[in-house]
Amino acid sequence: MGKLRLMSESSVTKPAPVRRKLSAGPLSRGDKWFFRTTSIAASFAFVLVALVLIFLSLKALPALQNQGIDFIFGNVWDAADDTNLIMQIGPMLWGSLLIALIGVLIATPMAISMAYMIVFMLNSRLAKVATTLVDLLAALPSVIIGLWGFYVFTPVADQWASILNKYLGWIPIFQVENPEYGFRGSPFIAGWIVAVMIVPIITSITREIFSQLDKDLINGALALGGSRLSVFRKVILPTASGGVVGGVLLGLGRAIGETVAIFYVLQISFDINLGQVLETRGGAVASWILARFGEATANEQSGLMAAGLVLFIITLIINSIANVIVNRAQPWRKD
Amino acid sequence: MTFAARPTIQPWRRANKKRIWQIVAASVLPAILTGVLVLLTGIDPALATVVVFLPLQLVLASLVGFSAYGRRGLGDAALVVLTIFLSAFVMVLLLSVLYSVLTEGAKAISWQFFSQNNVYVSGTTSLDYGGVGHAIIGSLLVVGITTIVAVPLGISMAIYLTQSQSKIKNLVRTVTQALSGLPSVVSGLFILSIITSGDFLTKSGFAASLALIPLMLPTVARVAEEALKLVPADLRYAALALGAPNYRAFFQVILPAAKSGLITALLLGLARVIGETAPLILTLNTNNGTSLNPFEGAMATLPTYIYSYLSSSFVPSQQRAWGAALVLLIVVAVLFGLARVLGRSKSLKTKPTNKKASK
Repeated sequence: MGKLRLMSESSVTKPAPVRRKLSAGPLSRGDKWFFRTTSIAASFAFVLVALVLIFLSLKALPALQNQGIDFIFGNVWDAADDTNLIMQIGPMLWGSLLIALIGVLIATPMAISMAYMIVFMLNSRLAKVATTLVDLLAALPSVIIGLWGFYVFTPVADQWASILNKYLGWIPIFQVENPEYGFRGSPFIAGWIVAVMIVPIITSITREIFSQLDKDLINGALALGGSRLSVFRKVILPTASGGVVGGVLLGLGRAIGETVAIFYVLQISFDINLGQVLETRGGAVASWILARFGEATANEQSGLMAAGLVLFIITLIINSIANVIVNRAQPWRKD
Repeated sequence: MTFAARPTIQPWRRANKKRIWQIVAASVLPAILTGVLVLLTGIDPALATVVVFLPLQLVLASLVGFSAYGRRGLGDAALVVLTIFLSAFVMVLLLSVLYSVLTEGAKAISWQFFSQNNVYVSGTTSLDYGGVGHAIIGSLLVVGITTIVAVPLGISMAIYLTQSQSKIKNLVRTVTQALSGLPSVVSGLFILSIITSGDFLTKSGFAASLALIPLMLPTVARVAEEALKLVPADLRYAALALGAPNYRAFFQVILPAAKSGLITALLLGLARVIGETAPLILTLNTNNGTSLNPFEGAMATLPTYIYSYLSSSFVPSQQRAWGAALVLLIVVAVLFGLARVLGRSKSLKTKPTNKKASK
C-alpha cells in the first residue's frame, strides 16, 4: 500500500487512474434469464398470499360490512331468511381455539417425551425407527385420521370421558349437564384427534433442537453429579425452551386450521362452549365452513368466506410468530 | 495385589445387571398387582392402567432409583418411566390407526375394487361390485396437474433461496414458511371465490388441482432447499471459477448432485397433497363414474370417496371407505418410504458436522 502511494505521488503530472470496479463482469444472457425466472418463481409466494387475501376479502366484504365487528364476537348464525342473514362466528372461533388448546395441552407432553426418548434414551438404530414412525404419523392424511377417529377412537374416548366425568366431575371443566346422552362429539374428543395430528410436528422440531444441544454441557452436568431429571430440568429445558415453544405454536396453528378430521369426530352445534370440554356443544370454524357450505346461498357463502379469511389471518399470524421463534432457536439452519 | 478384589465402580456404565433386574421388578410387580385387581374387582383395565399401574410403577421405580443412587435417583426413575409411558402411548395411537385401516380395509380389497367404478352401486350393494378405480384415476389426474405446476415452481423457489444473492431472500423464506401453515379449507375457499366471481373457472378437477398448489408448494420448496443446501458450496464456486455462468453451474454441477434430494421433495409434496380432502370438497363435485376430463364436470378422488362413504349408515359403504383409506394409506406409505430411501444416504453424513464446519 505504502509503496503504491509513493508511486502515485511521484507521478503527479499524470491523472490518477480510474478506480477499477470490482465485479465479475456483466451477467451473461443465460444468467440473467436464470435469475429472472427464479426470482419470478420466488415472488409467487407473495403473489399467492396476496391473491388469497384479495379474493377472500372481496367475497367476504358484503358479510363483513353487514355484520361489522360482531362477525367475530357475536354468537348468532341465522340463515333462515336469505335477505336478512345474521352471521357471527364467535362460538365457532372460540370452539376452534378451545379444541386447539386441548390438543396442544395433550400433545406437548407426549411430543417432548417422544423427542427426549429418541435423542437421549434410544440407541441410534431404534431412534431412526422411532423417527420414521413419527414422520409417518405426520404424513397420514387427515381424512384417514378422521375415519379412525370416528369408528375406532370415539368409542374409546367416550368411555374415558364418562370416567372423567364420573370421578372428576366436581372440577368445572369436566362438568356435563346431561351425562346420560354420552360424550360423543365433544371438544374433548376432537382435541384428542387434533393432538394425534400435531404430536409429530412438535416432536420433530423438539427432536431437532434436542439433538443439536451442546453435548459437553449435558455431559458436564452429568459429571458434576446431575441426575437425568436435574439435567432435563436445569440444562435441557432452559436451553431448548425457545424452540419447543415455537414447535408448540406451529402445532397450535395447524390445530386451528384442521378441518376434515375434526369435522367427523365433532358434533357441531352453533352454541358457545366456554370450557366444559366434555359437553357435546360447540364447533370449529373450519368444520363449520365445511358443514354449512353445501346448502349455503350466495349471501351465506360470503359469510363463510369471511370465516375463512379470519381463519387465514389467525393462522398466518400464529405461524409467522412460530417460525420466527423456531428459526431463532435453530441458528444452524441459516444458509 | 488387592486391585482385583476391589469392586469396580464404573459410573460411565449406563446400568449394571442388578439395576436392570430392579427396574424389571418395578415394572412387573405393578403389572401383576393391577392384573389381580382387575380380575378381582372387575374394574375397567384401561382405567386400572392409568389409576393403579402407572402411579404404582412411578413409586416403585423412584424407590429403586433411591436405593441405587440416593436422593438423586428419586425423580430420575420417575422421569424415565413417564417418558417411556408417554412415548409408548404415541406409538400405540399410531399403530392403532395403521392396524384399524389395514384390518378393516383388507375386507374390502379385491381385484375388482381397484379396477371398477361405482356407477351401479348403492349404499347396500355388496362389496363384490364396484370399487375405487375411478377415484384412483381422478386422484392421479388432479394431483398430476398440481405436480406439473407446483414442483417446477417450488424447485425454482428453492434455487432462488440458495443461489441468488438477493436481499429479500429471508423475507421470501418467511412467507413460504408461513404458507406451509395455510389451512387446507382456506385454500379451497380461495379457489371457490375465484370460481364464483367469474366464468373463467368452473368446479372441476382442474380447479381442485389449483386449490392443491398452495399446499404442495411450501413442502416442495422447503425440502428442495434443504437438498440444494446439502451440495457443498465449493463445488459451485469451483464451477464459477472455471468460467461457467451461474445457470450452467447449476444445471451441470449442482443439479446432478442434488438430484435424489429433489426427487425426495417431489415425493414428499405428493404425499402431502394426495390425501387433502377439504379443498377437493369445496372445488370439485364427486361422482360415481369414471371421468377422464379434468377441465369440466364431476370427478371422484380417493379422499372425497372416503369422505362421501364415511358417514354412511350402511355397513358395505363404510367398508368401501375403509378400503379406499387403505389404498390411500398404501400410496402415502410408498411415497414416504421412497422419499426416505432416497433421502437417507444424503442426510446421514451431513447432519451436524458439515453445517457447523461451513459456518
